[in-house]
Amino acid sequence: MSRRVQLAAYLVLLACSSAYAQKQQVIGAPPEASNMKLVGTNDLQARSAYQPTIHHQGDRWIAYIGHHGGTDDVPNPVNPLTGQAEPNGTSIVDVTDPAHPKYLRHLPGQEGKYESGGAQMVRVCDGKSLPKGDANAVYMLRTFGSEAHEIWNVADPANPALVTRIGGLKDTHKSWWECDTGIAYLVSGAPDWRTRRMTQVYDLSDPAHPQKIRDFGLPGQEPGATGAVPTELHGPISTGPTGNRVYFGYGTNKGGILQIVDREKLLSGGKEPTPENLRYPEIARMPMSAFNGAHTTFPMLDMPVAEFAEDKDGKTRDIVMIVDEAILNECGEARQMVWFADVTTEARPMMISSYTVPEASGQFCQRGGRFGSHSSNESMAPVYYKKMAFIAFFNAGVRALDIRDPYHPKEVGYFIPAITAATDKRCIPVEGGERCKVAIQTNNVETDDRGYIYIVDRANTGMHILELTGPARAVAGLPKN
Amino acid sequence: MALGASGVGAYQLAPVPAETSAHWREIAWPFPRDGWPAGRAFRCDGACDGAELYVRAKLGFCNCDRGVADDDEVDRVADLDLISPRFAATAPGDPLRVDELEGRARHYDLDMPDGARHAATGIALSRRCDLMVAVVQGAGEARTMQRAAIEFLQTQEMKRWVVAALDGR
Repeated sequence: MSRRVQLAAYLVLLACSSAYAQKQQVIGAPPEASNMKLVGTNDLQARSAYQPTIHHQGDRWIAYIGHHGGTDDVPNPVNPLTGQAEPNGTSIVDVTDPAHPKYLRHLPGQEGKYESGGAQMVRVCDGKSLPKGDANAVYMLRTFGSEAHEIWNVADPANPALVTRIGGLKDTHKSWWECDTGIAYLVSGAPDWRTRRMTQVYDLSDPAHPQKIRDFGLPGQEPGATGAVPTELHGPISTGPTGNRVYFGYGTNKGGILQIVDREKLLSGGKEPTPENLRYPEIARMPMSAFNGAHTTFPMLDMPVAEFAEDKDGKTRDIVMIVDEAILNECGEARQMVWFADVTTEARPMMISSYTVPEASGQFCQRGGRFGSHSSNESMAPVYYKKMAFIAFFNAGVRALDIRDPYHPKEVGYFIPAITAATDKRCIPVEGGERCKVAIQTNNVETDDRGYIYIVDRANTGMHILELTGPARAVAGLPKN
Repeated sequence: MALGASGVGAYQLAPVPAETSAHWREIAWPFPRDGWPAGRAFRCDGACDGAELYVRAKLGFCNCDRGVADDDEVDRVADLDLISPRFAATAPGDPLRVDELEGRARHYDLDMPDGARHAATGIALSRRCDLMVAVVQGAGEARTMQRAAIEFLQTQEMKRWVVAALDGR
């Protein structure tokens, strides 16, 4: 072999090994980041994490993190605080000092693995903001696996006390709770309904005495219906009595629907789940591609759009950001991503833009686990609302988007945590067995009023607390750090 | 997932009496593209003359732990809505096992777009988080069509294809 050929072969080998190194995360390697910086971490006892909610109570900041059930390998991880093996539930972490989060309490959830156990969802309201709450209480609403919703008093977050339990359900998921009215939209599975997940609307203004208002879903899902069953609910977000709208997202990674509902009609309309009563509060329904679902439907109403500033009409737009959920490992499905819908003319909502992480930027389809979006931050605090959105993108970490012009969303930062010994594997079937890889799986993200960004990992890597750096801070109007 | 004609297309169940034999001939997938890749479609000659069978995998669409837990799940996933949005179950379904897959089968009446009334059986079988769904429908008797369809799904050729489809190959 000539020297020139040998050199060429060496370069090819080098290129291949570099490409491989990019594909696979390894323990000990640093996180990958742009315009985002790690502030602190907590391992969350190596429990698979779903929803983080950050609540300011007194002079403390507390993170409540919902967990999926355990894994085949570790169904009930040991809680170091008690020394006991406990089914995954809710982690309660003091993040007042984000550089040194302090794990306060693990509240066990339902026995069961993956989505069949745990306590995935969590929302928190102060008693003083609820119309009939105990002013000294702080209420945490959580799911209990697939069978109940629970309300706990977490005024002392290290010692929660159960207030009430709404049981008799067959599936639960991503709920919404209006802290100023107490109205809760509980994603549930009522036994007679034809869908796993629908909405049960409750008045939880007095958390000790829940009052059922009605069941709600798409016509065709109600008990006794026949024919095709519409896509199941994923989650609602309400704008409360002021905005008088509830935005429902149906679907996960297929056949998504954005449904815009008149909140007042929803609450005051006929309660019987007849097709007519289910249709009554609906203002519009926007079907998405069969390739995409609607995990999160995040409203950003009355957004000024700089490009339209000189136009006589339409200077501001009502926008709903829709986030799909990827569910298959190693790109085994159509890309799940982020969509922006202009709902200014409510009866005719229209998709106007989209965003995805470029796959080639990290060879994410080959890294292992899911690649694609899952959820966005849902805080409407002024620090980021209508300016920046943060998207959990599984093995591509969290992505910071400049959304000031929702017609042209732009990525301005990202952070992909390093894997640890706790990071769980993700497998795909191959002929004669399965092949597994280990990769970060950033599942959910939330922000607090101070501007910290909290991401949690589905593959047991814990919670990472981040802040923006560089030009990304300017987008949000934050001072330089 | 395989598309179009294949070696399975002309499978002949044998030996059985002529009046109960079923011959499944592969036809083109007759439905427009939707969220899942197309599956395979067959038309029956013989005992279930004129019946059509549609089979496909739906990866990640099942509750990973509970599997196909109830009849509502069959209503939701079994692709009946591809044939007609107007269908109604005629009775509670039954548990069904095909090789390593477990699930349920349920009978339906279908109002066809041309006004005809067809009988159908929806089948949903799971392997962990993944589903294999099938519908057999036609103008014939539901139980006869179901029996022929299940026998066909239990052939070695179809079982091999089902495993490959669920593996994403």
